[in-house]
Amino acid sequence: MTSRRSRLVIAGLASALLLALLLATAAGSVSLPFRGVLGAFAARLGLPGDASALGPTGETILFSVRLPRVLLAALVGGGLGVVGATLQAVFRNPLADSGLLGVGAGAALGAVLAVHLGLASAVFFALPLAAFAGAMTAVLCVYFIAGASGRASLHGLLLTGIAVSALAGAATSVLLVATEEFRVKTVLFWLAGGLEGRGWTHVQAAAVFVLSGFALLVLLARPIDVLSLGEDEAASLGLPVRATRLGLLGLASLVAGACTAVAGAVPFVGLMAPHALRPIVGPLSRRLLPAAFLGGALLVVLADLGARTLSARFELPLGALTAFVGAPYFLAALRTNEGRG
Amino acid sequence: MSGRPVLLSAHRLAVDRGRRRVLEDVTLELRAGEALAVVGPNAAGKSTLVQALAGLLAPASGEVRLDERALADWPRDARARSLALATSREEGPDSLSVADRVALGRYPHCGPFQPLDARDEAAVARAIERTGIAHLAERRLGTLSAGERQLATLARGLAQEPRVLLLDEPAAHLDIGHQLQLFRTLDDVRRGGVGVLAVVHDLSRAAAWADRMLLVAQGRIAAEGQPAAVLESEAASRAFGVRIRGHAVPGQAHPFYSFEEGT
Repeated sequence: MTSRRSRLVIAGLASALLLALLLATAAGSVSLPFRGVLGAFAARLGLPGDASALGPTGETILFSVRLPRVLLAALVGGGLGVVGATLQAVFRNPLADSGLLGVGAGAALGAVLAVHLGLASAVFFALPLAAFAGAMTAVLCVYFIAGASGRASLHGLLLTGIAVSALAGAATSVLLVATEEFRVKTVLFWLAGGLEGRGWTHVQAAAVFVLSGFALLVLLARPIDVLSLGEDEAASLGLPVRATRLGLLGLASLVAGACTAVAGAVPFVGLMAPHALRPIVGPLSRRLLPAAFLGGALLVVLADLGARTLSARFELPLGALTAFVGAPYFLAALRTNEGRG
Repeated sequence: MSGRPVLLSAHRLAVDRGRRRVLEDVTLELRAGEALAVVGPNAAGKSTLVQALAGLLAPASGEVRLDERALADWPRDARARSLALATSREEGPDSLSVADRVALGRYPHCGPFQPLDARDEAAVARAIERTGIAHLAERRLGTLSAGERQLATLARGLAQEPRVLLLDEPAAHLDIGHQLQLFRTLDDVRRGGVGVLAVVHDLSRAAAWADRMLLVAQGRIAAEGQPAAVLESEAASRAFGVRIRGHAVPGQAHPFYSFEEGT
């Protein structure tokens, strides 16, 4: 609870993440020697180090395949963790997640549409762009419908999110049935969530949204905390409640949309990372947001490592792995949830 | 008291909730250092009145003025530095510590980005000390009793260092010892020139504490004046549906009230 203890926790998480990143770049279907990986990184950074241990093939695998993938895992996990922490404060519910806003369902619809039209295979980066557009369209629908009906209340937003998600889900299944069979497999892989074949373009696209969103949300830490006290109290403290909530939900949607666009559905990360860390670092956003970023990043880097290495024959879907961990966690949290976070 | 400046006033205020009119033609004044108790039966519109006075509900007609200036014309942060509201319906996160919760009361002073300075820290420490919750400062809200949470909410209001303090049933969950301590704290705050308006359920307690009493019934002010006069009025008896009688107690400054069913 004290700021010293949170600093220790955050430093510990950062070290664990760094270690996990190194481990995840070394391990995989082709195992790279750990010292060789360290040496190659040192050489790239201009430090004294021996880069020769990997060989040219090893170096290509490290810098063109594994490093972007591992960094993307960290960005996606960190982004989802930050989004979860923000939404849990805004909705004053310790189990809130980006799924509430229709991000996942909208992204899925966008992705399936891109595949159905054949854009995904014809145009580079069309699938993540379409997924992002789908996510943003769904979120805008949720805002517009919830606002237009005169209920910009949290309750109205939540229920509208459920309805819009159901609608997008229905459209997705109709499109899937109508899509040629050889294309369906691409989109099924995307829907299951995963980072196979992602490169530096994905890293750059995700980094822009995740890192700037994270920075802005940390800057808004105190308004987030005031909002978490409830609408009446926040308004009586002089916070413009509606505008602040709209801005925070918009930022969270952009980050969640970008993460979902590059990685597909990676469920429960946004719920678990902040929920597990809140009892340790407390609910104040200036501590919880960085902790949730690091915790989410750690979670997804390790889950992606598992997805690549657990089975020798094929790659496991990342989204399934986080769900295997996350769903029991969620159920346990529901049972022991002592209240409002 | 009447020589002191008027801080907050309502002028022919009417407030709607949805399509229902819940307050009608309410005119009142709160002066610096004054203790004004609002009493009334359930669903009379007391909480609505407090919310409208705090600027959380827009009037359907009439207006609320702070320092003779319409509440709606005040910038949000300046209003929150002058006027604080504490209710018994607070919803802070369970894992928030009491000290951090009280510190959020400095939001109107330090704004969204500035860190708390020494003056802010001093105001927080003083608010915690005045409400008698220093021993709870490091505890999380979820581990507190309802009464302790309520004191933490009041401390947040005091940390705002307002000139007007609006309270909605501040003693709702407090045992008798804490109730007495709460009203002593409010008196201490009043001596600093703060005008305090409180909705109080316990009529005897309200009468003992307040300079002036306001009886709200069916969305209107049914009686106003000296607490003893208001409580023993025909209007009070009609509003609550009970006979109210005051009995002087030798050696005590305030009368003891008895209540019987029927008017």
